[in-house]
Amino acid sequence: MGLTDLTSMAKPNLESREKILRKLGGRELVNCFQCIKCTSGCTALKLLELKPHEIIKLVNTGFVDELASSDIIWTCVTCLKCLQRCPQRASPYHVIMALRNLAVEREAKVPEGYLKAVSRILEIGLAEGVQDVVTRKMEILNRESLKLPKITYPKESFQAAFMKAMEER
Amino acid sequence: MKVAVFWGCRILTSQYAYEMSVRETFPRFKVELADLSEANCCGDPVKSMNDFAANYLAARVVALANNTGLSDLLVPCNRCHFVISEAKSFMAKNEKTSKKIVEILKEEGLDYNPSIKIWHTIDFLHDFVGLKHVKKAVQKPLKGLKLATHVGCQIVRYSELGRVDDAENPRKLDELVRAVGAESVDYAEKLDCCGANLMLSHVDSALSLAGTKLSIVHGYGVDGLVVSCPDCGLMFDYKQKDAGATVGAKLGFPVVYYTQLLGLALGVEQEKLGLHLNQSPVDKLLSKVSA
Repeated sequence: MGLTDLTSMAKPNLESREKILRKLGGRELVNCFQCIKCTSGCTALKLLELKPHEIIKLVNTGFVDELASSDIIWTCVTCLKCLQRCPQRASPYHVIMALRNLAVEREAKVPEGYLKAVSRILEIGLAEGVQDVVTRKMEILNRESLKLPKITYPKESFQAAFMKAMEER
Repeated sequence: MKVAVFWGCRILTSQYAYEMSVRETFPRFKVELADLSEANCCGDPVKSMNDFAANYLAARVVALANNTGLSDLLVPCNRCHFVISEAKSFMAKNEKTSKKIVEILKEEGLDYNPSIKIWHTIDFLHDFVGLKHVKKAVQKPLKGLKLATHVGCQIVRYSELGRVDDAENPRKLDELVRAVGAESVDYAEKLDCCGANLMLSHVDSALSLAGTKLSIVHGYGVDGLVVSCPDCGLMFDYKQKDAGATVGAKLGFPVVYYTQLLGLALGVEQEKLGLHLNQSPVDKLLSKVSA
């Protein structure tokens, strides 16, 4: 018994749903009454058709596996308006973040930008590498020529600690 | 007063104008800045991949601030400010996870201290320094400048966490703009996002969000847009040409950091504020000020 998506014949996976609820740690997802305040203010709706209220509904009905492997969860701009305006404390933002975490656990396709950021953090501690900049008069400058202090990077002990943290779920 | 500063990644690696203008302006209010050494990313991109590791990174920043012996930490980046604030709230509510994070920090000899206070440049200037002192310090009022403000997303939302300003009607940045003698206009698209976060996954959409907002604000006939976040600075200033191209608009719209504006009003030389680094045509705005 239960729901079936008639186009794909997919069935809800309640175990995956439990996983998301656990990650959300008490956020009141089931209280969502589909008022659509989140979607009507969503930054990504205009361009990328992200509909936060649909995501909440899909998680509530157990279609979590489909979401975790979909690109749609990676279109959130993290402007936090949905969470701010939700009258039911359901927080689509946190649901999307939990789905992204699950996608990573399951080794689903993750946008390259995120993978690069993490590997740079492992390498130098920062998510971005230091860059030269060009002035409007086409002069190339860097931290040194701008008389900005040298960056001090974390030592190897940080890498070990960060690796350890990445193994936790 | 002495405060610890966590610059994050983007300011330290490319948005130098923000860093320079903070370093120039804050000491003029008798605020001494102490950089965190061997600092790491706040954890923002990691939040999407592993929430635990992201909270660890943010907690490490707080622990580094604790190392300096100071009780206040200035975080000029909106995104870092949010990630660290949320991690602090998470650590306070989740004892078990918090313990695990504290243990990992101990391996590096670091101590997490939940009482470190987190500031952004906007609330630090508005609430701690105070509008009265900002006004008093102004040497060259920026009279005649009509500006729009873009406060960004993550320092105003979500309110439950305790943010820098009101979520739906932020006023502090406008008040700070008025404090230096310029005019700040109200406009409907004020809360529209710059799109920076999508640069990690959907570059064209990110640029199109920035381009759309820029062309609308440009159309209001203001002299420039004031930002206070390195992500917004990147999108509206550094990437302005690309953003314009994405939405089919030819933009030539000055975008400055608030601290650059403040520095001008305090009489600081333009180059010391990194005003030669802005990629948008800020000369238009500067000639209005010096005229």
